[in-house]
Amino acid sequence: MTVAPLVVLVLALACAFGGSLGGIGGATLLVPVLLALGVDPLAAAPVGLVTVAAGSLASASRPLQDGLVHHRLGLTVELAASSGAVAGALASTAVPEVWLARVLGVAALVGAVAALARRGVRNRPDPTFHGETTGEWPGTLGGQYALDGRIVPYHARNLPGGLAASLVAGVVAGLSGVGGGFLKTPAMSEVMKVPVKVAAATTTFTLGITATTGLVVYGEQGRIDPHDAAAALIGAIAGGLLGARVQARIHATTARRVTGGLLLVVAAVVLGRTL
Amino acid sequence: MTSDPSATGPPPDPKAGRFDALAAALRRVLLVVAVLAGLGALLPGSAGRAAAWAAIVVLMATPLVRVGWLGRRWFRRGDPRFGLVAVGVLAVVAVAALLG
Repeated sequence: MTVAPLVVLVLALACAFGGSLGGIGGATLLVPVLLALGVDPLAAAPVGLVTVAAGSLASASRPLQDGLVHHRLGLTVELAASSGAVAGALASTAVPEVWLARVLGVAALVGAVAALARRGVRNRPDPTFHGETTGEWPGTLGGQYALDGRIVPYHARNLPGGLAASLVAGVVAGLSGVGGGFLKTPAMSEVMKVPVKVAAATTTFTLGITATTGLVVYGEQGRIDPHDAAAALIGAIAGGLLGARVQARIHATTARRVTGGLLLVVAAVVLGRTL
Repeated sequence: MTSDPSATGPPPDPKAGRFDALAAALRRVLLVVAVLAGLGALLPGSAGRAAAWAAIVVLMATPLVRVGWLGRRWFRRGDPRFGLVAVGVLAVVAVAALLG
C-alpha cells in the first residue's frame, strides 16, 4: 500500500465517524478516499471490508437490545448478498483497475443519493398491539418494533426484489470493498417495505457476514495486509463509536446531507481520475 | 388498593432481555478485537503480525459463530426452514474458502 498504516488509521477513523453520522458506513467513504490518494483498488478493497466488519461488530449491541434486528430476514437476504460477494471478490482480480475505480465511483454516487434522499415513516403504530414485546415473529419475515412508545407491526414483501438488490449489493461489496449497506438498507426499506429502523439494524448485522465472505476470498488471494488491516480496525472501531455518540446529539437530516455532500465530492474525484 | 394495570404499566415482558447475553458477548469480542488490533499496530515484527492476524480472524469468526448459534436455536425451537437458511449462509462462506 502506498499509504502508511498511521494514515490508514486516521482515515479509517475519520471515515467511520463521518459514515456513522450519515448512516452509510465508513467504507463507502474510506475506499474511494484511498483510491483518490493513489492506492491500488485491489489493496484498498480488503481494508474497506475490514472496516465494514468492524463497524458491524461495533454497532451490534444496541439494536439487538432494542429488538430491531430481524435475524430471519437478514439471513434470508444474506444468502444472495454473500453469494454476490463471493462472485465479486473472485471477479475483482480479473476486472481492469479503471473499471474497479468506476464501480467505486458509481457506488459512492449511489451512496450519496441514498444519504440525501432517505426520509419518511411508512409503517404506522397499531393500537391493537398495545403492551406487546418487540422483535421478529418466529417462522416468518414479519415482526414488530417500537416507535415513540407504540408498537408497529410489519411484514417483509417482495422477497425476490429484495434478494436481487442484495445480490447486487454483495457483488459491489466483493468487487470494491465498500459494504453495500447504502444499497441493502434502501432495498429492504423501499423494495421489501420493512421499517427503515429495522432495515438499518438488520443490514448492520448482515454487513458483517458479507464482509467476512469477501475477506475469506481476499485472504485466499493473499490480498490482506495485516498491519494495514489492524490500523484500519482501530480507526474504524474508534470512529464508529465516536460517531454513534455524536449522531444522537445532531439532527439526522443534517448529518445525512453533510455525508451525502462528501460522497458526491469523493465520487467526482474518483470518477474524474478514470476519465 | 387497586389492581388497575394502567396504574402499574404493562405486564412484565417474558421475552425482554432475550438478546442481552448476545449483546454483552459481542461487546466483549469488540474489546478483544480492539486490543489485538492495537497490539498488531504497535508491536514490531512477527509478534505484531500475529496479533493483527488474530484480530482479523476473531473479527471474521464472530458473525459466523452468530449465524451458527441462530441456526441451532431455530432448529431446536421448531423453525427448521430458517435453520436451513442459516446453514445455507455458512455453506456460501465455505464455498468462498474453497473457490478463493
